[in-house]
Amino acid sequence: MSLRYAIALAFLVGARLDAQGIGVLHGSVTDSAGRGLDHVRVRALRRIDGTRVIAIRFTDASGAYRFDSLSAGGWLVIDAGRIGYGMARDTVLIVAGDSVRLDFRLPVLPIIVSPTIVTAAKRSQLLDQAVTSVSLVDEQQIARRAVNTIDEAVDKAPGVQFLAGQVNVRGSSGFVEGLGSRVLLLVDGVPANQGDRGGINWDIVPVDEVARVEVVKGAGSALYGSSAFGGIVNLISRELPEGWHARVRTTGGVFANPPHPEWGFRDYTGIQDGIDVAGSFGHGPVRAGLSAGARHSDGYRQQDRADHWQVTGRGAWRPEPATVVNLSGAWASDQYQVPEPWCANKECADSGLAFQPFLINTNNIGNRTRSDKGYFTAVVTRTPSERTTWLARASWLRTHFTDAYPQRRPPFSTADYSIANRVGFEGRVVSRPDSLHVVTAGLEITRSDDFSNVFSGNPGNTRTHIEGAYAAYAEAEQTVGRLRFTIGARGDFLAIDGGGITAFVSPRAGAVWSTASGAWRATLGRAFRAPSLAERFVSTYALGFPVVPNPALESEDGWSAEVGRTWTPRPWLRGDAAVFYTQARRLIEPVLLIKDSSLVIQFQNVQRARIMGLDLTVTATPLPPHLTTTLAYQLLDARDQSLDSALLFRPRHLLTLSTDYGWRSFGAGADFRFSSRFERQDPLFQGDPRVPGKVLDVRASWSARSLAVHLKVANVFNYIYNFAPRVLEPVRTATLTITYSY
Amino acid sequence: MTTMRTRVALVAVALGALACDQGLVPLPLCPPGLVGICGKVTFRGALPDSTDLVYVVAYATVPTTQNDLFTFQPQNPPKLQLDSAGRATPQPYALNLPPGTYHWVLAAWKKQGILSPQSADSLLREAGFYRDPIDTSKAGTVVVAGAVAGVDFTVDFTNMHPVSYYFPASRSHP
Repeated sequence: MSLRYAIALAFLVGARLDAQGIGVLHGSVTDSAGRGLDHVRVRALRRIDGTRVIAIRFTDASGAYRFDSLSAGGWLVIDAGRIGYGMARDTVLIVAGDSVRLDFRLPVLPIIVSPTIVTAAKRSQLLDQAVTSVSLVDEQQIARRAVNTIDEAVDKAPGVQFLAGQVNVRGSSGFVEGLGSRVLLLVDGVPANQGDRGGINWDIVPVDEVARVEVVKGAGSALYGSSAFGGIVNLISRELPEGWHARVRTTGGVFANPPHPEWGFRDYTGIQDGIDVAGSFGHGPVRAGLSAGARHSDGYRQQDRADHWQVTGRGAWRPEPATVVNLSGAWASDQYQVPEPWCANKECADSGLAFQPFLINTNNIGNRTRSDKGYFTAVVTRTPSERTTWLARASWLRTHFTDAYPQRRPPFSTADYSIANRVGFEGRVVSRPDSLHVVTAGLEITRSDDFSNVFSGNPGNTRTHIEGAYAAYAEAEQTVGRLRFTIGARGDFLAIDGGGITAFVSPRAGAVWSTASGAWRATLGRAFRAPSLAERFVSTYALGFPVVPNPALESEDGWSAEVGRTWTPRPWLRGDAAVFYTQARRLIEPVLLIKDSSLVIQFQNVQRARIMGLDLTVTATPLPPHLTTTLAYQLLDARDQSLDSALLFRPRHLLTLSTDYGWRSFGAGADFRFSSRFERQDPLFQGDPRVPGKVLDVRASWSARSLAVHLKVANVFNYIYNFAPRVLEPVRTATLTITYSY
Repeated sequence: MTTMRTRVALVAVALGALACDQGLVPLPLCPPGLVGICGKVTFRGALPDSTDLVYVVAYATVPTTQNDLFTFQPQNPPKLQLDSAGRATPQPYALNLPPGTYHWVLAAWKKQGILSPQSADSLLREAGFYRDPIDTSKAGTVVVAGAVAGVDFTVDFTNMHPVSYYFPASRSHP
């Protein structure tokens, strides 16, 4: 459009407004850090014989709002408010034919409202209405932690711990080299565990695309089936806003060198850097967004370089108010050196030390991995009436990795590879026949296939294995006074390579009793996890031993119960406590055994286990809205009842202290995480040292309207430790992240 | 009130910071400052009832006479821990030695009784020695200039040899 036409159009619009005696009011609503807030209710009120609401608007995803036709000629009171934030109010004079801008900044009041969650019951509900414990990691927490991958942000959630990249919710998974996660990953509600290994690729979704994370603790099989044995992590994407928007996020950082000169391994400082660029457009019923990014890291150990590339696309189409179609897809590629396990005595130039945590075994020099993964999902959601919502989705997840072991000798291959697909379909109906009843029911079909030489079942051979899973589920909720009862079950039917069908029924019952200061909750449910194709058919060489397949591996299962309480005794104080108990059997673990006169590793159903404990979270805002502090503590008593000893890789105490202080555009905060020393030594690594985890992260931030700068120093004291055997956890890392939003 | 809350928060952060002491630290296989050798001894077989002690000693040259027998280093050799806990897992040891070359590092088992040149053959046994990593039928050689780690060997109570196994009845070197 030429300048002449633009001036003419502005004149005409102004003339039209003037003629009608109306004016335009527009602006934005941001949080105290300057980030736009969506879904803020903005009201225009006029004081005539009292206060009367004359118009209401809601902000879009960028925080913008607009009243196009307010009657001119008087002062209006404009207020803005949203759950979780304090109310802001101002007065404005509307002039005929003029446009007035009014911006609001809302203070955070995070502890006096119950947020909405979507994972615990496969539908929207308030957090206080969930029968199980749920932890939330919101967009602000993700942003101020200045992380590169989403697992780094989830790691500090109460009751969650990562062991060398493997997620544990209340001590569910332990550590099994990434195989067979007992936690289900969802991306916007769509299952995303790998089709072959059952593990999780945390970098499949760019951290900048995630609006919040919901962590459901405890058995979730009654709605989600296998893998939801110990918990569910749901990554929820940002909404695509109206209009054109862009965002650039750059990251740079340095790794500390080893604190002891005997551990030195390089004569330069390792760095990491990355950039993400995202753009989106929304107009009327159509929204679309595209992002791309790349990262490089020198790593903090010998042979630890890594490169990452990703592309993500999303789209939404709302052909009518009751129907929305969401499409999303992503592709990510990682190429990295393998820095594990660390060098033990005589496995490298050990300088006379028992171990060299920054060096690797010389037999593993040259090991590297290429890992490509992508997904595509299509979800149609329709709400034909206030009483009914239905959803249909199709999803496809593909993973392809190649592990190169250049020093391997026959009969083992110098390259292990696997190409896996996981295709899923789900149909779901949520019905609310009246205000006291909710019924959720659905059908789910999943087909996983894997073409591999390492999960083939025959060393040196390549083969495809197929797993089919068919499920039906239903859950009903009834409200009686202050009580909400929930009961439901899911039936799963599994078939491997077209063989016989194995069936599992996972019931769950729960109740929530609302009180004046919070709510009590209780739940009892059955959980199960089918062995992954990798656990059944793996045939490779690891830790110095052949790993042999076990096609007869059975599913593990158990019962899980919890009683919990949320309470808000003071406006500035909120607490959540739960005692939980899980009795599991046939747990799948790697076992060292003698087979044909040789020591080999095989996955077997060996363990009966009991995991019980206490999960406590207290959040206080003693100087609202400036200072927020959180204490999260988990007491875990995890016993291997087969061996009458502690379960491997579970800390008895897990403590997280977080504090954040905000003043105008500045912020500062810290996280301290203590994880007690594992009680039991891994039998494969007798004599290895065991230490507790004690890590302090500090951060600072500054943000303006479209610019945000975050500085983080993780592991400030360069505390050197490991959780998984001979896998060094990250050293001190300073990271500067700059985000520009348009 | 708010001042008290702020103080509590600051104290909590300070405690967290103070708690971050060292985690893993370099673990020398040999004690710091050692000039000599160190390693681990693995035990095999049942401990004889008549056991008095088991020493770890080093010889610059393999003894060939009764007089050579008492040229071992160090003069006060360390004793191995022989209770069941000490024998259950490989037991670390360290020997302070003068710089030089040592051709025989061994565990000497001593029977209960008073040791003298005359009773040596009846009271002493070679219970195991450090072997050449290339040819394990031979004794390994250790050159001491500082600390030498990884001088590991096995004490086998079911396969011990008296002094007369080496000399004068047999002069074959181990």
